[in-house]
Amino acid sequence: MDSRLSNSSSSTHHSNSKKRKKNATANNTNQKTLGVAWGSKSLSASSCSSRKSPFSDFSSYMAHKNCKLQNQFDSEASASAARKPIFSGVSIFVDGFTVPSSQELRGYMLKYDGRFENYFSRHCVTHIICSNLPDSKVKNIRAFSAGLPVVKPTWILDSIAANRLLSWVPYQLEQVASNQPKLSAFFTLKSSKMSEDTFTNALCQVEPDVQDSFPRVGQLKERHPSEVGEMVEVCRQISNESNDISSKKTDVFMMEEPIGERVICDEEKLAEANSSETNNERNTEGELDPTYQEPSTSFSIPCSDNQNVHQFPSSEATGSSKQCHSTLTDPNFVENYFKNSRLHFIGTWRQRYRKRFPTLSTGLNNGISNSNKSDIKSVILHVDMDCFFVSVVIRNKPALFDKPVAVCHSNNSKGTSEISSANYPARSYGIRAGMFVRDAKALCPHLVTFPYNFEAYEEVADQFYSILHRHCNKVQAVSCDEAFLDFTDAMVEDPELLASSIRKEIYETTRCTASAGIGGNMLMARIATRTAKPNGQCYITPERVDDHLNQLPVDALPGIGYVLQEKLKKQSVNTCGQLRMISKNSLQKEYGMKTGEMLWNYSRGIDYRSVGIIQECKSIGADVNWGVRFRDMKDCEHFLINLCKEVSLRLQCCGVQGRTFTLKIKKRRKDADEPAKFMGCGDCENLSHSVTIPLATENVEILQRIVKQLLGCFYIDVKEIRGIGLHVSRLENADTSKQGTEKYTLKSWLTSGSASVEKQKYHMGHNKHNSDCANCASSHGCIHSQGSSFQIDNKILNIHVSGDPISTPPPLCQLDVEVIRNLPSEVFSELNEIYGGKLIDFIAKGKGKCESSSSLGNSLEDDAATCKEEDLPYSDPIPLNQIFSENKAMQHERVLGSGHGSCSQVTHNSNIERDDLLPSSLSQIDASVLQQIPEDLKAVILEHLPAHRAQDFCSTPAICPGRINQDSVGVDTSKNCPGTVNHALNDSLWAGNLPSWMDKFKDSSCLRKLGEIYHRSGFNSQLSSVLPQFLSEFHHLDLTQEIYDETVNIMCELLKQYVKVKIERDIEEIYICFRLLKRFAVKSQFFSRVYNDIFPFLQAAVDDNYGGSLFMP
Amino acid sequence: MQRKENETPQGQAASVLVEFLEVAITAVVFLKGVYPSGFLLPSLDSPSSMPFLFFFFFFLLLLLLLLLLLLLLLLLFDVGKGAFERRRYMNVVVQRARHPQLRYYIHATVSGLLPFLQKGMVDRVAVVFFNTDNVPLEKFIFKLTVNQSYGSSVEGVDLQISLRSFLAKLSVSESLTKKLPPDCRWEITGNFQLLPETGTSKEANFWIPTDTKQWEQPLFITPIRSMSSDPLCLQFYIEHPSLSESSVL
Repeated sequence: MDSRLSNSSSSTHHSNSKKRKKNATANNTNQKTLGVAWGSKSLSASSCSSRKSPFSDFSSYMAHKNCKLQNQFDSEASASAARKPIFSGVSIFVDGFTVPSSQELRGYMLKYDGRFENYFSRHCVTHIICSNLPDSKVKNIRAFSAGLPVVKPTWILDSIAANRLLSWVPYQLEQVASNQPKLSAFFTLKSSKMSEDTFTNALCQVEPDVQDSFPRVGQLKERHPSEVGEMVEVCRQISNESNDISSKKTDVFMMEEPIGERVICDEEKLAEANSSETNNERNTEGELDPTYQEPSTSFSIPCSDNQNVHQFPSSEATGSSKQCHSTLTDPNFVENYFKNSRLHFIGTWRQRYRKRFPTLSTGLNNGISNSNKSDIKSVILHVDMDCFFVSVVIRNKPALFDKPVAVCHSNNSKGTSEISSANYPARSYGIRAGMFVRDAKALCPHLVTFPYNFEAYEEVADQFYSILHRHCNKVQAVSCDEAFLDFTDAMVEDPELLASSIRKEIYETTRCTASAGIGGNMLMARIATRTAKPNGQCYITPERVDDHLNQLPVDALPGIGYVLQEKLKKQSVNTCGQLRMISKNSLQKEYGMKTGEMLWNYSRGIDYRSVGIIQECKSIGADVNWGVRFRDMKDCEHFLINLCKEVSLRLQCCGVQGRTFTLKIKKRRKDADEPAKFMGCGDCENLSHSVTIPLATENVEILQRIVKQLLGCFYIDVKEIRGIGLHVSRLENADTSKQGTEKYTLKSWLTSGSASVEKQKYHMGHNKHNSDCANCASSHGCIHSQGSSFQIDNKILNIHVSGDPISTPPPLCQLDVEVIRNLPSEVFSELNEIYGGKLIDFIAKGKGKCESSSSLGNSLEDDAATCKEEDLPYSDPIPLNQIFSENKAMQHERVLGSGHGSCSQVTHNSNIERDDLLPSSLSQIDASVLQQIPEDLKAVILEHLPAHRAQDFCSTPAICPGRINQDSVGVDTSKNCPGTVNHALNDSLWAGNLPSWMDKFKDSSCLRKLGEIYHRSGFNSQLSSVLPQFLSEFHHLDLTQEIYDETVNIMCELLKQYVKVKIERDIEEIYICFRLLKRFAVKSQFFSRVYNDIFPFLQAAVDDNYGGSLFMP
Repeated sequence: MQRKENETPQGQAASVLVEFLEVAITAVVFLKGVYPSGFLLPSLDSPSSMPFLFFFFFFLLLLLLLLLLLLLLLLLFDVGKGAFERRRYMNVVVQRARHPQLRYYIHATVSGLLPFLQKGMVDRVAVVFFNTDNVPLEKFIFKLTVNQSYGSSVEGVDLQISLRSFLAKLSVSESLTKKLPPDCRWEITGNFQLLPETGTSKEANFWIPTDTKQWEQPLFITPIRSMSSDPLCLQFYIEHPSLSESSVL
């Protein structure tokens, strides 16, 4: 029976305040109760801030507070008796919720001579105590812990129990300690293997391509027979050089290069040859020649390095549908994009410069300290090449010197390519950089346009700098064509004479003109150059500074851009003289401290910068916002992979690694039309996401993974993407960050293993070709046509590989004949098919030969097996443990051992499923092994069994989960009764540790899924935790599968019984489940039926137990 | 943490529960905002307190002459500080009533339950908010079951963690509750499985029948948190009348 009683009175809002009088008696009812830490900490904090604080700012307040807390701690510590100095020297900081609570830990610290910090500080704290960390902190553990150990609180308890300070290492927080790669990472080798896949795919495409292009090469050779050979030589050299840097990773990449290069060389050749004739002719030829467009699949276009003339004009002029320069059509878009980018050239130029003049650029630093002497009159020379990008291109064409010439990507008169540089005759027509070509042509119809010639730029820049360095030891490079020289220490008599001699030398060496400006500081030198241009020089002596500046327009000052100039104009400031009228204070008020001061200084010709300071780069990245168009996610991912490669290469070039990765995306605005500029980005929104990882990296695979993850954050339709940029910041020097620990991580070990396997794999394929040459000469002849160089490669690799104890799978030709012979017939026929019928011969012939070689293979196998055992001591060397051997080397071994589908692994069919390391049927798994491996490993394995395998698994009695659960009553009963559903609907669906419904539902495909998920999550978990996953997976099934009434009934019954079980003790669980169901009922017809059927029952059940109905919002 | 060893597991669980209920009931009362939550130190994230703040300062300026009186008022009645202060319980931040009478009421009521809890007589403990007509508007209900046959000892830490989650969940479930009218009152009621006989024990005399009316309409339940472990099983949910009734009121 139910009776209701109420205690005491109630209080209202109004009467309350009157009652509030100090009631001494009531205060006696202080509680002394469990876990109560009505702590003093929070109280003091609140009362402190309520009063007027005597502290000037927050930091002084915190300092004071920390000091006070420490004193408090000290006094309490000295008061507590019987101290054992267990924790002397240990100072802990407790983060978040712990058991025991932070207050108790503080008590322990008091008692045992430790310290307890309320606020984290790198200097005081020695250990961080916490039992759980949020994901964000785990990801960025370094920022959180500052390198301090993160330890579980049991460390303290155990140390006290042991009466001595234990090592914290075993108590390290798992989340932090298990930062190493998990087993699951190796089953889904997607991200890491993707690149290699693409390489091998590319390799497969080589054949037709080469065949395609060879005839054309021949044709070209006929046209320019004398020069071809020579050019090919040169180009090959170049390509080899570049390959050395870029493709350490796989030789596959190396191999595809030369082929491609050969193709370019010829194209280049053609262009070169043509350019000796008139330009127009060359261009039309480029447009007319159809062969440039036709073979644009994967090789001809990407490789057309420097002479990109033929690409743009034709596609634009003829409006042909074949646009090779978006991400859609060009698989190597990223690479080409940066090859053809001027800004990229300038941006990366500094890196090359530093490599070329390493001693010179570092040697500068010594000089800097002396340069502040004010008594010596400083002399700064600023040298700038005149319209560098144009003059370099036309330096060998004197006829063009006084004609208007511009440099741009395209020379189509209707084109929307931007002019990047124009010479002085062209400028006199009003042609400016950044103009579209069509506008420029309108201004000056006889304008001659040239494409970039980056090699020439590089060459000239190098010459330019070697001259400067010869004259002066203090050179600051501003750009590839612009530098400051400091002659202060050199005591030059006549700076003008010196400048003219430098200019003369530059002209004689490079046949390009340069202008020079001389001034007392960098600012004045630069301003002087401005007046000196073109091809002149100017010396602004300190006396003439004021005169010169008076009439100078403000926008001539460096650092004043369009926006600032407009602002100044509003104040009617147009010249430096007018600017000087404004006081420093009002400038700073108007434009900010720094800009204001800069304006004030610059308008007076004051510049404190000294020559020779090179800023370290803060971030490295790559942006592509031209030609970016994606059809689907796959395009986008492919593009990102290439972008990652590019960024990774750049990082490697600079010798740095980064921790923060930012992905920037330009997204087309909703109402934006197709941009005016051909393939441009148009009107875009800029979005960006970034992530910081604990360990700096430049590894391309990690980059790819991060980027993929970042892309996921955007929730963006890839069709809307118009530009992507990836930036890496928080750079660290690669040498310092690459400590020993990193080298010996499992990861690096594995990657090295897999890389060498990759090599080996090719090697095997190739060997096979050699041995079976007679059989397959017709189809594989092409590879042999360039095979000679490969073989050398392979031999080197061979030596390398055999030196490596881990990855030594026996080559295919050493396959054990016995194994192949004993293969099931269908497997054998499949194999045979792949080998083109050679397998039969192979078995017949090669028996004797293989006998000997297989012994070698066996020894290698043993090697591998021992390696494996060292790493995974709990796994037995039986077939199952190959699941754990993530290493790809092991994969080959397994293939040999089990002889199952081995051929798909070694042939160069592009559709190799690499994540398929698991045995394809459960018969290959030894159940006893599975029993003995630790729970977490087992969970991972179960999880990664593909769906059809998992079903097998569930239904295989030998390894039935019943073994895992001690209580197998439910299993037994369910096994006894045949799995007919109707029979199963008794009351005991949820009884037992292993709910019996799991077996009953095997017949219904969708509900079997539920069983699997439930199984995977561990049997004791609640339905609410399983349901979301099931519902989301069910959503896919729903579309394809017909919904039977029976299924609905089963589901209803299942839920009904769950309600019955849970209603009394766990209404929250029921509530969550049904809210989930309701949410999915909107989307799925099946669930709406289930929900409608079950809902009345639920409400009745709730009413019975709680006297009300469940409120479903 | 210190428990007498000779206590039964039910006794242990009950004493933990009593303590927990005290905190939880305070949290509920705080959540519903029956008492002022401090306007000298308004939490700036709740915009509703801002106009009040301005009004207060305006008032302060106008009555400059009466400042002394006001200060006296502030000191005497603690008007400015609100009825609650932040404290820590089970390592989670909770509120504690500052007014001794309020604190005493909650503490005494819940402590009064202890003997009945130990015997497993209490079916549910409710915090009932009702209007001036004694019509309840919302009930926060702790439905408890103490397993009398449970033999082994109670793991204090486990229980603590489970109970802690109630407090954590409660502090974020304001959106599940309804807005109360300004003039409402509240009380703590206990539903007993059988009526304790008056006069048999001192504790039983302590309890009086409640005046609040029953709901006529069917009620709705919004579960907040459940816990089912041995020997204590606790369900925490909100009961409120159907929407039609609330609109009439």
